[in-house]
Amino acid sequence: MSLRFVPPAAHPTHTSPETSAPSAPGVHDTLRSRLSLTSTPASSSSKTPQVQLQSSHPLEARLVQWREMQDRLKMEMLRRQFGIAEPVKRGMELKITKEGEWRPVALGGASGVHRDILEGRDCEIGWEDVFVGNELREVPDFHSEMEARMKMNW
Amino acid sequence: MPGFDFSNHNRNAALHAQGVPLPKATSTGTTIVGCLFNGGVVIAADTRATSGPIVADKNCEKLHYIAPQIWCAGAGTAADTEFTTAIISSNLELHALSTGRKPRVVTCMTMLKQHLFRYQGYIGAYLVVAGVDPTGAHLFTVHAHGSTDKLPYVTMGSGSLAAMSVFETQWKNDLTKDAAVKLCSDAIMAGIFNDLGSGSNVDVAIITEEKATLLRNFITPNVRQPKERNYRFQRGTTAILNEKLITREEISKYITVHELEDDNVTAAAETMDVDQ
Repeated sequence: MSLRFVPPAAHPTHTSPETSAPSAPGVHDTLRSRLSLTSTPASSSSKTPQVQLQSSHPLEARLVQWREMQDRLKMEMLRRQFGIAEPVKRGMELKITKEGEWRPVALGGASGVHRDILEGRDCEIGWEDVFVGNELREVPDFHSEMEARMKMNW
Repeated sequence: MPGFDFSNHNRNAALHAQGVPLPKATSTGTTIVGCLFNGGVVIAADTRATSGPIVADKNCEKLHYIAPQIWCAGAGTAADTEFTTAIISSNLELHALSTGRKPRVVTCMTMLKQHLFRYQGYIGAYLVVAGVDPTGAHLFTVHAHGSTDKLPYVTMGSGSLAAMSVFETQWKNDLTKDAAVKLCSDAIMAGIFNDLGSGSNVDVAIITEEKATLLRNFITPNVRQPKERNYRFQRGTTAILNEKLITREEISKYITVHELEDDNVTAAAETMDVDQ
């Protein structure tokens, strides 16, 4: 674990020249041609999940990983200072608040105020808090959301 | 993905690969200055907004509010300076409410530089931050990549060289308030007249321990002269060939006639409901 506080630059490690059609590998697909994403380098620790990027823009990889990187640095410093118990405790608290807080998506979803307080972000606001990324997504109605939660949508 | 949307980048890259030329880079033009004086700080800006070779706005406002005693002058991409200062203003207010103290200028500067460093200069905001807090009067510049300066007098934007020449020749230590305002507006005037990207009027903000005063259009050296001649023709210039009178009773058989409230109100087919 390192004390890195800025996400690594997303230099591609390899590129595929053409994206082929998923149904017929190796066959040229005009619609997918030149749209292949250059891959981000595999991070040193295997625990961190790879994020799916929308583009090959160098800034996107940085921004996607920014908050996560800050949190990881904080946890690593806590681990060095107080031992593994501290980050484990905080992780558990985060998980508890995440599972205990629910509000229907039709009403705007959970605000995440408890998570914000635990992460120390309760007195700051950023673009990520305003544009949460589902502005153009269809909001499921209350009944289908409830059915999915209660596993009734068989 | 939350935050900025990058979904068009791949499309643009593919279009560029197929020979569509890249959009031309536009240079932005502004002169903004700031100067410390005995007991406070002054910032000033010109009021021209350009988009390429076109003057988009002759009297725009480049001095942005951050906190009651902290103001910010912005050069670079107008929308970026506007929204960066707006979000830092919100963050600073939240921070002030959380700590229960007046926000400090260094806090504002640190927030700005951390925000801008995150975006690697893609947010083109070049700012002059000035303010008075319990630790005194402070003046900083913040560049788009996140680097900052702390100096007794600063200039930024395309007219910064013209403005800096004024400061370098006329600045003295321990200025009075009026001398600092005069010096800053002279520096902006140098930018207005010697830099093509800057123009129109001078805006000044004076921040002292007691209050901040925004002097909008403090100096207007480029007032537009009224035209000496015009194209308005006298009544009766064109001869009347024939005339036909239609009375209201006659025409109201076919259409509805409304009386206009007064001559200045133009006729509208349907008026919009407005909350009064």
